[in-house]
Amino acid sequence: MSNFEPKLVCFSCRFGWGFLGNEAELSSQIKNWIPIICSGKLDTAHIVDAFKHGADGVLVLGCPEGECHYQDGNYEAKKRIYLLHKVLASYGIEPDRVRIEMSLDPEGKSIPKLVKTMSDTIKQLGPVKKA
Amino acid sequence: MWQSKSTGGAHVEEAIKQLLPPCQIKCPINEDIQRTNVLISLLPRDIESAKQGIMQIGDYLYEKNPFFNICGYICGLCELECNYKTKGGAIRRRLLKRFLSDHYTDSLSKKEESTVVKDKENVAIMGGGPAGLMCAYILSRMGYRPTIFESSNRLGGALWLIPEYRLPQSVLNTTVENLVRIAGIDVKYGAKIGQDKLTFERLRIDGYKAIFVAKGTPYPRVLTFGKDTVPGQDLSGVMYGQTFLYEVSHGNIEANYFQNKRVIVIGGGNVAFDVARTARRLGGEVTLVALESEDKTSRDGIPADEDEIRGAWEEGIKIIHSRGVQKITGERGRFKGISSPKCTSVFNEEGFNPKFDLDDCIDLTGDVLIITVGQTPDRVFLQKENLLDERGRLAVDPFTLQSLRNSSVFIGGDVRRIGFMVEAMREGIEAAESIHRYLRGLNMREGRKRDYEKFDIPERYEYKSPTDVAWIPPEKRLHFQMFERGLSLQEAIEEAKRCVTCGPCVSCKACISIGFEKSLYAVEVDESRCSGCGTCVYACNYDSAHLVERDGKILSSTDMFRCKSCGMCVAACPSDARKMVDDNTYERIDKVFASLD
Repeated sequence: MSNFEPKLVCFSCRFGWGFLGNEAELSSQIKNWIPIICSGKLDTAHIVDAFKHGADGVLVLGCPEGECHYQDGNYEAKKRIYLLHKVLASYGIEPDRVRIEMSLDPEGKSIPKLVKTMSDTIKQLGPVKKA
Repeated sequence: MWQSKSTGGAHVEEAIKQLLPPCQIKCPINEDIQRTNVLISLLPRDIESAKQGIMQIGDYLYEKNPFFNICGYICGLCELECNYKTKGGAIRRRLLKRFLSDHYTDSLSKKEESTVVKDKENVAIMGGGPAGLMCAYILSRMGYRPTIFESSNRLGGALWLIPEYRLPQSVLNTTVENLVRIAGIDVKYGAKIGQDKLTFERLRIDGYKAIFVAKGTPYPRVLTFGKDTVPGQDLSGVMYGQTFLYEVSHGNIEANYFQNKRVIVIGGGNVAFDVARTARRLGGEVTLVALESEDKTSRDGIPADEDEIRGAWEEGIKIIHSRGVQKITGERGRFKGISSPKCTSVFNEEGFNPKFDLDDCIDLTGDVLIITVGQTPDRVFLQKENLLDERGRLAVDPFTLQSLRNSSVFIGGDVRRIGFMVEAMREGIEAAESIHRYLRGLNMREGRKRDYEKFDIPERYEYKSPTDVAWIPPEKRLHFQMFERGLSLQEAIEEAKRCVTCGPCVSCKACISIGFEKSLYAVEVDESRCSGCGTCVYACNYDSAHLVERDGKILSSTDMFRCKSCGMCVAACPSDARKMVDDNTYERIDKVFASLD
C-alpha cells in the first residue's frame, strides 16, 4: 500500500487562485489541475464523474466567503460539497476525499502545497474502495 | 503575468433598450465603469508589475474618453447612482480613476499619434473647452479635419477655473496638449470668432462645411435684487468669481493677496465654494453668503457638493445661509459692505424667483466682495450670428444640437446649458455624431435614442465599507497643492473589489480581456465556408455583422463589441459558415478525466 500515489483532481476559481501566476508553469507543477471561472460553476456531477474515472480525491479552491465575483458562487460550491459529503458516504467514499478551501492566492504558489497536503491525507485512506 | 488584451472590451452599444449597471447609465458618456473596476481588482500586488496592467486599462479608457484622467480628479458623477450607496457607501470610482490617472498621465506624452487618414470635410469648432475638444477628438477619429478656434492662448476652457488644489495644472496641461497632438487637431489660438473679420461667412468661404459652437459662458452674471441690478458692482474691491479664478489660474494674483482682508463671497454653487476656498488660501478671512438654505434635500437647498461645503467649513470659512444681497455700500469709491435680507424662498413653480423678508436684514462689512452667482454666454455674438429665437433663447434642437436657424451650425456645451465637464463632453460627442450625419446626408435622428434600464444591487451576505478619503488636515492645506491623497495600489485593489458588478455579463467582458474566458458564447465565422453573401448583415439586429475584404475575398465578420450572441445570423446563414462557440471548460474537464483512466 505504501506505493500508492493518489490521483487528485484540483478545481480552482480563476478570480481567487493563480491569475497572476504563469498558467503553463503552474500546470506543470499541479497534476490534473482545472482552473474554472468560478467555483460555483462546478457541478456535483463533475466531482462524482471524477471518482467514476478513477480519481482518489477532489480539491476545490474557491474565493473567501463574501468575495465571490459572481455574488455567491463560492457559497454555492460550499453548499454542494457539504451535501455531496452526505451522499458520498453512502457510496462508501469517505467525505475526506472531497475538500473545499475558501481562500485566496493570486500568485498560485500555495496550490501545489495544498494538493500535496491533501494527497498525504488520501494516502492514509488508500484507493477508493470499489463496491 | 497580468495580461489584458484590448479585444473583447465593452463599449455601450446603441441598443434600443439595454440593461446596464446604474453607474454606467449615470455617466453622461456611459463609461465602462464595471469593467475597469474588475480589472483594477485583479492587478498584481506590487506596483512595478501592476504598471503594465494600469497602462492597458488606461489605453482602453482613453480611446473613448481622452479626459479620463481629469475625471479622476473632479467628476465622480457615477458615484451618485452607485447601488452600493444604500449599503454603506458608493464605490469610490473617482478615486479609482485618479489612481489610474496618477500612473498614466505621464505616459500620455509618449502615446503615438493617431493614424486615421483625414480625408473628410473641414469642421470649425469654436472653443477649446471639454465640449469642443471632445467633438474635435471624435471627428478626427472619423476622418474629418477639425480646427479649434480658441479665443484665449490655451486649451481647456472652464477647466482652468478649477482651483489647483482640486485639479493640478500639470495634469490639465498634459491632457489637453496631448489630446490635440494624438488626435491631430488643428488649433488656432487667440482666434475670436465673431470679432473683426472672423465670421461664420468667412469660415464658410474658407472651406469649413460645419461649425460647432462651444463657446461656453465667458461672462459672469451680475447680481440682481428683484428685477433690478444691485448698484455698486463697479466699486473698487468688488469682483466676479469667474474673473477672479481666471486670474488666479494664470498666476496673476500673488500669494497672500487677501492677507488681513475680509472677503465676502456671494453664491451657493460649486464655483462660489471654489472662489471662497481660493480666497481663503490667499490669506483672506472669508464669509460666504448663499441664498439657499442649509438643508440640501429641500428645493431651496444649497446646490454645492457636500464635499465642497465640508472642505470650506473645515478651512474656517463662515457660511451664511438663506440670505441675499439688497444693497452694496461703498465709501469713497471703495467697497464697504452689504445689506443682506433673509431669503424666505428661492424657487417657486416657475423657477428661480427668490422672496425676501426685508424686516430681517443684517449688514455685513468687508474689504472685498466676490460675486459668483452664475455665468452667461456671449449673447451679442449669438444674436449677431442669428442663433437666437424671437424670445432671445438659443434656437437649437436639444436632441441633435443642430441650430434651428442655420443647418450647418451645431451648438453645445455650457453655452447651451451649464453643466459638469462630462456633460459638456457628452454634447461634444453628440455634436460630432450630428455633424457626421449632416455632412454624410444621413438621417439626423434615426437610431440615436438610447434607453437604458438599470440593474439592482445583487444580494451579498456582507457589504464592505468604502476606503476612507484622506484629506490633508485643514490647518496644513491652506495652499494650492492637492489636498486629497490618492489611493495606493493596495487600497485601489481593495476598493475595486467592493464593486459588486451589478451589470449584466456582457456589459463588461473583463474576464475576456484578462484571459479568464476564451470567449463569451460568441459567434464564429468559418471563412472557408463563407461566400460573402451578406445575409448575416441583414439578419443582425445589433449592427455587429459586417462584410470585410481579406486577401481579395469578401468575408463576413463579427464585431465582438456589439455581438449579443443572439444567433440570428447563425440561423440565417445559407452556407452554414456561422456557428456559436461555447467556452472550453467542459472540454478541459473531459480531458483531465480521460487522463485518469
